[in-house]
Amino acid sequence: MIEVNNITKSLPNGRQILKGISFKANKGDFIGILGPSGAGKTLTMRCLNGLTKPSSGQILIDVNGKHQDISNCNKKMMRQLRQKIGVVFQGFNLVKRLSVLENVMIGKLGQINTFRSLLYGFTDSEANAAIEALEKVKIPHLANRKAGSLSGGEMQRVAIARAIFQEPVILLADEPIANLDPSNAKKIMKQLRPLAEQMPIIGVFHQPEIASKYCTRIIAIKDGMVYYDGDSNISESLLAEIYGDELQEIEQANVQLNLSPV
Amino acid sequence: MNAKTSQKIKKGGLLFIFLLLIYLSMITCEVKINILITGILNGLGFILKMFPPNINVISKMVYPALETIIIALLSTIFGVILSFFFALCGASNIVPSWLKATSRFLMAVERALPEIIFLLLLVSALGIGPFPGVVALSIGCVGMLGRLFADAMEEVNAKTMEAVASVGASKLQIVQYVVIPEILPSLIANSLFRLEMNIRLSVLLGAVGAGGIGYEINYYFGLLEYKKATTAFLMVLLLVFLTERLSDYLRKRIIKEGKLK
Repeated sequence: MIEVNNITKSLPNGRQILKGISFKANKGDFIGILGPSGAGKTLTMRCLNGLTKPSSGQILIDVNGKHQDISNCNKKMMRQLRQKIGVVFQGFNLVKRLSVLENVMIGKLGQINTFRSLLYGFTDSEANAAIEALEKVKIPHLANRKAGSLSGGEMQRVAIARAIFQEPVILLADEPIANLDPSNAKKIMKQLRPLAEQMPIIGVFHQPEIASKYCTRIIAIKDGMVYYDGDSNISESLLAEIYGDELQEIEQANVQLNLSPV
Repeated sequence: MNAKTSQKIKKGGLLFIFLLLIYLSMITCEVKINILITGILNGLGFILKMFPPNINVISKMVYPALETIIIALLSTIFGVILSFFFALCGASNIVPSWLKATSRFLMAVERALPEIIFLLLLVSALGIGPFPGVVALSIGCVGMLGRLFADAMEEVNAKTMEAVASVGASKLQIVQYVVIPEILPSLIANSLFRLEMNIRLSVLLGAVGAGGIGYEINYYFGLLEYKKATTAFLMVLLLVFLTERLSDYLRKRIIKEGKLK
């Protein structure tokens, strides 16, 4: 469970980007965050896993029955909370020169002692669990390949396996399909969706149709505020309200994507 | 006077000043052509005295040659470890800026000082022999390797580091799982390059008292046994040539593998 209470964020020059965002996500929620560019989607995501500290407000994460505020905690607590937050990035962000298996096992680094990782690394049972995570995303055969030699779709699957192996209580996905072709994008969405049964997933998406097809709930952010929060079946007119002039560009981009050979 | 002639005078003036400067410099350095010519002739005679090399001493050279290799190897290993720590402290994406500035300053000071100065200081403290040579050459690595390693570390993708930090990994774990694997090819290639340099430098330092084959060259020169010194020269040539071939071969393989990503 994650509860976002009225967070705001101002830049050093005084411009307020986030003007009070609130929502709550529970198990079973696959939330797609939509909104025009510059609305504050990515900034919201950075606040959720503590990469950016909001100017005010609370972000409560339920860890072992206790509610911890990631927007206001010390370094040690931050590390503990991050162990419980899985993140999938737009650029995959794998360590290219390590193997796929090692990249998956990095997911649990926060949970093992630094001395242990320096001395002997991971145990066999952890390696087996990492392979199981790779089986869930259907690429166990790539375990020994170097991460840098994979295609974009495969890399994003490794990133999802890393998040599964981490066993988080919440999964964040910052534009996870923006760098992928349509067929890979759909595969990734299909693999993400069932994970929501175990933990709430919050993702930022640029393609409204894909988000409304696979997500269970849509939150639209506009001008740093929640403009819409509800069912994933959103109407054309609502989309037009959310995106304004940008909607045409997005639709054009989607048409081009579908025409391109896969 | 038209424009063309004034240009000619300008050119002539510049040429005159240039030649004058060269002449003044030659006077400062006491360059005398006649001495150069007699010197070359003397030198030829000297080279004739060096040949043929006296290969009877070759068995006496094997141990010093090994000593030179061992001094170079040991000091490269210690130097790489030392450089790695200085590099970690000198990478802006890993440490706070005051530490980076301090570490980079120390490395720059080291780069400015030739290895031979360290050796002279160390010989007075530790005595003559291979040990001060190893210490001097290890310190000598830090200025160059530390800087190269630190630059490589700063080029590691910030987003990858952020991704690993986002699972709660500590700074040391990020170094272990992101920084080291990503800079490994440049780490190995530069260390091999430094090994070549250390072989040459340990010959030089040997002549000043750090033992090894450099000491032998100096010794036979002192005794005016030029034919024996030539044998030592040939040993050095062989040594340097072999290490260069070996490290070239290894480096090429590593770079090839690095490109495969």
